[in-house]
Amino acid sequence: MLEKILRSIQRVPAFPMTIQKVTELLRDEDYSVQEVTQVIRYDQAITANILRTCNSAYFGVRSRIGTLNDAVMYLGKDNIIRAVQTSGVSRFYKKAAEGYVPRASDLWTHSVSVGLMSQILYKKIYQQEQPVLYTAALLHDVGKVILGEYVHKSFDEIMDLVGREGCSFLEAEEKLFGINHAIIGEKIAEQWNFPEEISSAIGSHHRPDLLADHAAVFPWLVYLADQISSMMGVGGGQDGLAYRAVSEVAERFDLRDKDIEVCMVQLFEDMEKARELMAIV
Amino acid sequence: MSDVVVGISDLKVSSGEQDCLVTYALGSCIAVAVYDPVVKVGGLLHYMLPDSTLDAEKARQHPGMFADTGIPLLFKSCYKLGAEKKRMIVKIAGGARIMDDMNYFRIGQKNLTALRKIFWKNNVLIDAEDTGENFNRTVRLEVASGKFLVKGLGGTIKEL
Repeated sequence: MLEKILRSIQRVPAFPMTIQKVTELLRDEDYSVQEVTQVIRYDQAITANILRTCNSAYFGVRSRIGTLNDAVMYLGKDNIIRAVQTSGVSRFYKKAAEGYVPRASDLWTHSVSVGLMSQILYKKIYQQEQPVLYTAALLHDVGKVILGEYVHKSFDEIMDLVGREGCSFLEAEEKLFGINHAIIGEKIAEQWNFPEEISSAIGSHHRPDLLADHAAVFPWLVYLADQISSMMGVGGGQDGLAYRAVSEVAERFDLRDKDIEVCMVQLFEDMEKARELMAIV
Repeated sequence: MSDVVVGISDLKVSSGEQDCLVTYALGSCIAVAVYDPVVKVGGLLHYMLPDSTLDAEKARQHPGMFADTGIPLLFKSCYKLGAEKKRMIVKIAGGARIMDDMNYFRIGQKNLTALRKIFWKNNVLIDAEDTGENFNRTVRLEVASGKFLVKGLGGTIKEL
């Protein structure tokens, strides 16, 4: 079965070049709006989604934006990166991850909420946003899209391991399939030639404590964002909260229960504003 | 039957015979279902956090977000439809926890404690509950019958 799963990973379509090119262009403070729109224009799905996204309340644009050029000008650097990433990544969540969630939109809603939560946490800790972390957070569960059909077929066995034997959902996946959804996601990111900081954050998003590189910040923040969003039940699935707590995360970032609660309120607010982001899939 | 969806930090009450109040994927959040069988009035709250002193402004905008603002409003909204406290049947579900959480992330447990304190002070007894553990729950309250269904681990449905 593992062989078959690994072959499905190889069949995952390429990551849209547009996203990488735009991110590259925007690294330069003096990026030209024209250049950016030239790149985006070739990707129809992203163009359509950017116009929808940038008219969402989340970006706080007052008048309706009708052209790509206007979108890029109005949104500014951070927001255009966010909009391009969100609309580019959504295509990988179109297939329902049955076994985990009943509808494709549930996993997407969860992914966007973890993306937003990752920024809430990063801003709280480092007083700025972090677009690379956003990409990692958005993609953290992409492995579920592959593993979903296997989980669906072996659902009773998984539930037995989780319900009766006290396994975490991740451990049950490993026992039955020889791999878990986080590692599958990591392999997909590697196949896309993503930087190591993204692929390792995806691969370790349930067990950042097992990572050799203890200084890495992204895996811990994706882990924390995922756990908080899961506690809130946003797009919640069959795996629920059946994952091991890694308490070290609280000391690492000096976070208390109250801080987590404040972040939940903030996510609730961001989700209200970001309905259009959720509707993209 | 038509579903009336109760979102996170939201509450709905109804006396419509056709209505079924539903709330999806309670993680550490808690659903409180109340029902008066005589006037057939039901209410469902899906609160997220224990204590509104965290953010008074948010509590004003979304009283259903917190136990201490949501629970009183749930009861009062039912009284407006003719329900009486002494007849109310109270059932709760949710408050799940992450595995082996020892000293942080205990939002589920805190949500439960807050609810028990409020009920204790106001002399309200819980008739049935399905709480804790580590899975998501989806709950339904049928207004015509007062039937309260909880979908839990592995998608199994039970009546509380």
